[in-house]
Amino acid sequence: MAKIGVFVCHCGENIASMVDTAKLTATIADHPGVTVSSEYKYFCSDPGQETVKKAIRENGLTGVVVAACSPRMHEQTFRKACAEAGLNPYMLELANIREQCSWVHTDRDEATEKAIEITRSLVEKVKRNNDLKPISVPVTRRAMVIGGGVAGIQAAIDIASAGREVVLVEREPSIGGHMAQLSETFPTLDCSQCILTPRMVEALQHPNITMMTYSEVEEVDGYIGNFTVKVRRKARYVRMETCTGCGDCIQKCPVKKIPSDFECGLGNRTAIYTPFAQAVPNVPVIDRTRCTYFKNGKCKICQKTCQIDSIDFDQQDRIETVEVGAIVVATGFQVQNTAIYGEYGYGRYKDVVTGLHFERLASASGPTAGKILRPSDGKEPETVVFIQCAGSRDAAKGVKYCSKICCMYTAKHAMLYAHKVHHGNSQIFYMDIRAAGKGYDEFTRRAIEEDEAGYIRGRVSRVFEENGKLIVRGADTLLGRPVEVVADMVVLATAMVPQPDAKDFAKRIGIGYDEYGFFNEAHLKLRPVETATAGIYLCGACQSPKDIPDSVAQASAAAAKVLGLFSKEQLEREPVIASVTDATCAGCWGCVIACPYNAIDRKDITDRNGNVVKRVASVNPGLCQGCGTCVTFCRSNSIDLAGFTEKQIFAEVMAL
Amino acid sequence: MSEPFEPKIVAFVCTYCTYAGADLAGTSRMKYASNVRIVRLPCTGRISPMFILKALQKGADGVLVSGCHPGDCHFAQGNYHARRRWTVFRALLAFTGIPEERIKFSWISAAEGAKFTELINGITGQIRTLGPFEQYQELQKVIETQSTY
Amino acid sequence: MGIQEQYRKEAAELLSSGEVKLVIGYGEGSTAERRRPVFVRSAEYVSRLVLDGSCVANLSSYLVPEGLLSDGKKVAVFLKPDGIRSINILAAESQLDPEQVVILGFDIEGGQAAPLPGRKASDFTALIGSLKSAGLSPELQKDADRLEQMSASERFGYWKEQFSKCIKCYACRQVCPMCYCRRCIVDVNQPQWINTSSHTLGNFEWNIIRAFHLAGRCVSCGGCDRSCPVNIPLRLINHRMAKEALDTFGHYAGESAEQQPVLATFRQEDPETFIL
Repeated sequence: MAKIGVFVCHCGENIASMVDTAKLTATIADHPGVTVSSEYKYFCSDPGQETVKKAIRENGLTGVVVAACSPRMHEQTFRKACAEAGLNPYMLELANIREQCSWVHTDRDEATEKAIEITRSLVEKVKRNNDLKPISVPVTRRAMVIGGGVAGIQAAIDIASAGREVVLVEREPSIGGHMAQLSETFPTLDCSQCILTPRMVEALQHPNITMMTYSEVEEVDGYIGNFTVKVRRKARYVRMETCTGCGDCIQKCPVKKIPSDFECGLGNRTAIYTPFAQAVPNVPVIDRTRCTYFKNGKCKICQKTCQIDSIDFDQQDRIETVEVGAIVVATGFQVQNTAIYGEYGYGRYKDVVTGLHFERLASASGPTAGKILRPSDGKEPETVVFIQCAGSRDAAKGVKYCSKICCMYTAKHAMLYAHKVHHGNSQIFYMDIRAAGKGYDEFTRRAIEEDEAGYIRGRVSRVFEENGKLIVRGADTLLGRPVEVVADMVVLATAMVPQPDAKDFAKRIGIGYDEYGFFNEAHLKLRPVETATAGIYLCGACQSPKDIPDSVAQASAAAAKVLGLFSKEQLEREPVIASVTDATCAGCWGCVIACPYNAIDRKDITDRNGNVVKRVASVNPGLCQGCGTCVTFCRSNSIDLAGFTEKQIFAEVMAL
Repeated sequence: MSEPFEPKIVAFVCTYCTYAGADLAGTSRMKYASNVRIVRLPCTGRISPMFILKALQKGADGVLVSGCHPGDCHFAQGNYHARRRWTVFRALLAFTGIPEERIKFSWISAAEGAKFTELINGITGQIRTLGPFEQYQELQKVIETQSTY
Repeated sequence: MGIQEQYRKEAAELLSSGEVKLVIGYGEGSTAERRRPVFVRSAEYVSRLVLDGSCVANLSSYLVPEGLLSDGKKVAVFLKPDGIRSINILAAESQLDPEQVVILGFDIEGGQAAPLPGRKASDFTALIGSLKSAGLSPELQKDADRLEQMSASERFGYWKEQFSKCIKCYACRQVCPMCYCRRCIVDVNQPQWINTSSHTLGNFEWNIIRAFHLAGRCVSCGGCDRSCPVNIPLRLINHRMAKEALDTFGHYAGESAEQQPVLATFRQEDPETFIL
């Protein structure tokens, strides 16, 4: 038999002035199953809560309805009070007669009538509430960081330094990411390699970090605290365990003219190679698509050269399974393919390059050893035109957003150019100069005032070649007239775009992404490093365009979230989750497809001999977030949601 | 003359957006018609077409179903799934003669207390004009007479 | 050789070679124009199979009973294009393995049965694609249009009259290949979502929810219409749902065995003009 206690709160005058609480209390007292019905000025106060607790104990109440404010306000308060009085905290409902009644209505009779109905329907609901227990999930206190750029490195080091194990996965042969390609970094102009390589080495040598380079995440299974990740360890054809990184094999490799991705095609590499000299780990890989031995079955010069027999042509890709409790996604970005700007002649004119090309030209370790030489003839350009927003903020080219870093790096490029080519003339076409950040505006001012970068506000309509020069034709919108600049080189500040396989990757690991393919955070403002999938976090440019300071800050924030999760051995979760009635499930798997969290699996039902008699849906309590989408889909009504069961809602509606 | 008709309206809302929006209307002391009864659910994904039928059976003259705007769902996709179901169910109800004016769907965010207020007032006014949903309630009367034999 | 002889011969070959354990086809019914399902397990009985213009029932529903296909053996079944679409849906909803179904396909043209080439459901993909392009039944649409031109109140009256006849015999459910649930929503009594007695409100709820559950799944085989003892135009309401799925979501039930259920998926750009 239900014994329900109803506690009508006056909330001072907030409720009592518009709702006849005495009438509400008296009417509800007569409702079947209601044992106690009382009113009080402030039930949320200590004496108020004591009254509730006393009533629970003395009357052996099986359920409580507090008719007061929104459950968003005091549900937790009264759940705690119930628990302290020995009643399961989920045997409580709040009837919202303040925010959704007394405060919004002006007729006392109408408000009272509504308050009675609200309370009555929740009495009917609470009669059907069930004892629920928070779900306890064990936590594997090891993290995986996917992506070894500056964000991933930072997150890995932070987690590892706090004493937790980290597996750092990078798909390229070396960690370092895009930052390793940069020359000098704004707004301080420190050399990128100089500040990054110590971090790369620290990550490699950290006792808590296991590095998996040249490896890709194939599959993520499980849920917060308990992920099983399958990682494809791509065959390097070089034994990691023994290779000393002496580089003899690279020297001797006969295939030398392969355009290097790291150098943006401005330099070459061999078939056995490390992407750059400071690669971490400093172990080469063989590019099997270019290797003479793999193509013709003959060569093996590298193997002959290697004095410690570290070349192994028989290596195969292998899948390694890793158990982790949390995942940090730091997969970074790509530079937009500027071929879509036919009017700027990218790909047609050798001297029209992207910002990333320019980084390599300006880099002391780059193909020109830091001299700004134009690709076509290796001459020093006298005039360089920089075009900002080459792709960004241009819906017609598919990128509506601002790539955030281009204003800054273009100013930096102009500065580097001025420092290296003293008589050089730089002209920058821009839409707006966005230099918000510590020391950023000062930096762009310096480019203009000290390094004499010419800023022209306007768009470029065309770049074409004439007599060996690049003619840049555009508009100066401040002066309201067309301009034409004769240049030796054009640098396009191309948009930052998601990795080409970002959407597939997101589906594979079960996180959301936006229209472009940047990964979605759980809440843009309040949960910026979490994803909607519990236990998976984001940092760096995979979430949105970011510069180095932002990426690093976000990486540390993600690490803090991971460490918070790892602070306990068990994770407690709200028990509002779905469950399946095995007997009636028809196994159509609509729920499996509909579930936004991939929380529903197929489960075999076996007889006593172990033969599978049927397969039914099964909700993983660690993954289920309790939205109830599956419940509504299920035609046979075989799924239900704790806390909002079919019986509860039915009773609630039928009492209205 | 009898008293003016006051419709009964049942709103099925998700707790994260529309319920919070209704709370905001309260904390902002906006005023709206008292005809609406709110049933709180975790997500629009949980709102079954059966709920709407049961509300009609219990004498609702109008039903509102409301949740987070697309892209804002706390559960990422619940409202997208809900939207498809609504599209189909709404067509079905219309085809069986349940007036579209009586079954409304909306997106109301936690910040849209004013929208909630306007919507409730608008729907209440509209259904006042339409009058009670006697046709549906007559189906109910058949039950009552039949079950008394 | 006529189509009936040809298909009898094929059935005999399938059975005697052991490729299939059972052939589900049509046999003589209680009147000259009625057909009833026959289940042939041995080649010697293939003469009981009839194939002509009266073979209209969608026999795919006989594949669903639990246990029939659990031994992994194949079953041959006479199917029109609507039935082949049903096989695709049943496969998409994991109720059967399409590899176990040998299709003896035919269609009825001008009152005569005509053979359709193909053996597996996937052989008919192009045919189903052309049916999708041809669109839904214009006759049913004419009826639907007639109803939609009425006022809501008149339409309500129409369906009230129709549904008031329902005796909740569940023949519509029994005949429908899509109604394979082991427990139907109407049989749920905790809580009792649908009033089960045969009064109009409960009938209304039952028929509405059944139509909702068939949205994007009904292939318009007409089984419900034919089986209804009180002649409720059930196919019409299901047709309206099929139209909604096709017009709004481009979903044509049973296009392939990989098709995802229309109500378990979504597109961000799905239309929502009705949402305030």
